[in-house]
Amino acid sequence: MEHPRTDPDQELVKRTQAGDASAFDELVIKYTPRLYGLVYNMTSNHEDTNDLLQDIFAKAYKAIRGFRGKSSFYTWIHSISVNMTLNFLKKRGRRFQLSLDDVDASIQNDKEFLEVTATSSPVREADLSELQRRLNDAMMKLSDEHRAVVTMFHIQGMPHAEISKILRVSEGTVRSRLFYANRQLQNYLDEFRKNPVS
Amino acid sequence: MEEFDDSEIARLLRLKRYEQPPPGYFENFLHEFHRRQRDEMLRQPLWRICLERAHTFMSRLDVPSLASYPTAVAAVLACAAIVSLKIYQQPEAARIALQSAPSISAPANAEGEWNLASPVSMPILRMQPVRSFRGSAQTHRAPTRYVLDSVPVSYEPTFRF
Repeated sequence: MEHPRTDPDQELVKRTQAGDASAFDELVIKYTPRLYGLVYNMTSNHEDTNDLLQDIFAKAYKAIRGFRGKSSFYTWIHSISVNMTLNFLKKRGRRFQLSLDDVDASIQNDKEFLEVTATSSPVREADLSELQRRLNDAMMKLSDEHRAVVTMFHIQGMPHAEISKILRVSEGTVRSRLFYANRQLQNYLDEFRKNPVS
Repeated sequence: MEEFDDSEIARLLRLKRYEQPPPGYFENFLHEFHRRQRDEMLRQPLWRICLERAHTFMSRLDVPSLASYPTAVAAVLACAAIVSLKIYQQPEAARIALQSAPSISAPANAEGEWNLASPVSMPILRMQPVRSFRGSAQTHRAPTRYVLDSVPVSYEPTFRF
């Protein structure tokens, strides 16, 4: 996902900086669904995600006067989100709450869903919901930093370059974290395939 | 036996995009955000709210580009000094007004406070606490004493209809 040189949110940011709270409301509406996905897949808990999102936007609102537009607002708000979530996870420790919601009903008609369930693959052998549960388990076994990269790359579909800007690490680090995380997930899921829950 | 490869894992992970919050969550999120902001504002001390408002006002005027912060601080200090001087000079003016007008009594609210209203006038014919204005300007903190108004009640003009 390449961003154009001019930030599409520039106008809203300027209006917010000038004291127009409704412009910030528009930014909140625009980014809440996307940031929800990011934070939720890192915390795996809806209540924590809600509180974190509220704190993230409150912090962004306070800090937006200092935002000079060196990066896009998109990158900036994602950086705040990832950093706050990682800090929260460090405080929370390894307390693991498997409370990921059920897959949305609309998924049943989704092309990708049908593809996954129809193809001849190990997926077909297992019950998809059980597989999803195992995948969530596997995600939560990753370190917070690895889970963040997996979430941004695989779930949110961000390019390596964008992730490296958000995390302020090199693209090489992003790639190596992804590689390592994929291997770990693969191991967990293979184990499940060999010993499926009856 | 087939194994999960990277593309398989990637496809499974993409399915997690469909994990959604409860219905109506995104619609209510903004209301909740506003409510929390209001709650937080109510918990803030008054001086912080004033400071933030002043900061917003200044940023709208783009004052930082006109003057540096040290200059602004110096200006605020100068204003504070002028205002405090005015306030401390107020008792002196009150004394002059009292001496020149024998039938004047102190304002009704003069008890223990200073105000910027003119001390002249208000012929209230009651016993009023007034300040003792002996000595220097610092003596305005001396204990109050009570005096009778110089005009007796019986001297008041009678009304004829």
